[in-house]
Amino acid sequence: MPGEMNNSPSGGKSDYNNATLRPITIKQALDATQPYPEAGYQIDSAEAASVCFIGQVRNISSQSTNVTYKIDDGTGEIEVKQWIDSSSGAGDSMETDEHTNNKPSGPKSQPEVDGYAKVFGKLKSFGNKRFVGAHCVRAVKDINEVHVHLLEAAAVHLFFTKGPVGGSQGQGAGAGGAAGDASMGGVDDYGAGGGGRALPAMSPVARRVYNLLRTEPQSNEGLHAQLIAAKLSLPMPDVARAGDELLTAGVIFSTVDEQTWAILEY
Amino acid sequence: MSLQTPRVLPAHLHAFHPSSSTTSKHTVRILGTVSALRGDTATLTCGGSGDVTIILKPDSHLQMGKLVEVIGKVTDLNEGGVGIRLLGVTDLGDPADCDYKIYEQVVNATHKLKAIFYDSNE
Repeated sequence: MPGEMNNSPSGGKSDYNNATLRPITIKQALDATQPYPEAGYQIDSAEAASVCFIGQVRNISSQSTNVTYKIDDGTGEIEVKQWIDSSSGAGDSMETDEHTNNKPSGPKSQPEVDGYAKVFGKLKSFGNKRFVGAHCVRAVKDINEVHVHLLEAAAVHLFFTKGPVGGSQGQGAGAGGAAGDASMGGVDDYGAGGGGRALPAMSPVARRVYNLLRTEPQSNEGLHAQLIAAKLSLPMPDVARAGDELLTAGVIFSTVDEQTWAILEY
Repeated sequence: MSLQTPRVLPAHLHAFHPSSSTTSKHTVRILGTVSALRGDTATLTCGGSGDVTIILKPDSHLQMGKLVEVIGKVTDLNEGGVGIRLLGVTDLGDPADCDYKIYEQVVNATHKLKAIFYDSNE
């Protein structure tokens, strides 16, 4: 169920589970929903704790406590507030991303009006107005970065709405191939994904075993490890290891004996 | 809703033309290299996707051979055909630094996935 991760009003727990930085478009930021007031924002039914986007700076207004940027990426326009860190005195030029290694913080990475800028931050709202509380705003000098970001946002959107690459039905090798994407995506374990739920990060073999358990007709006793090994033509030790992995992750449970597993559904 | 400026290629211009009844928006964003300047108009070459004529503003400054992103309204040209009346332009430097194929993919993706890029009533 979407939103089941957000049952605790504090939201603190889910922050730990999903501390991913999600690439989005400004339209997605404006369309993000809150399951209930004060809850974390959700995009495509998955929590978007931290987001990043690229757009053109339309306006910069410097106040004593913050700098407000108006960012437009062609899909919408949103206000970005960056609080000035008075203790360091260099709050605006704080560099927290990959650019630190080839571009030291300084005027070069400062956003300019009409230039492109990349914003890292969290979605916030004040009254009815949505804005982004930024950790970092830096200028983007390479137009390719803008395009790649838009494609990345599209890929992540498809991941959350259509499931991992390789198809949500993921049979055998196909599901194995999707393993990397699913774990990289940082999906909050069971909340997202169209058909079937996304697994936490685990080995391709474990994924294949899980998918077999999901698709194979079986009684409520589940399947025996030897049967799984035969069906997937895998050696027994590999299947046993995959079983351990799935048991530890809590997505399957052993039924009549330790070698017979069924999917844990709730 | 704030103003959206869909990214397009020359072949898509007719879909954003004011006479096209399904379209409510005519402001688009297009990336290209300035390949000709003729007083009040300019030609933008969009990689391998064709050319587009831009109707300039008196105060717009385009430089030959530069990669630019133009935001403008799709409109009829005096000499026939469809062009863009320039509203804003961003100089993006050397065209060699941009892989135009990526931009073409972006345009395709943005029009396939309207849900995250543009309102669907366009």
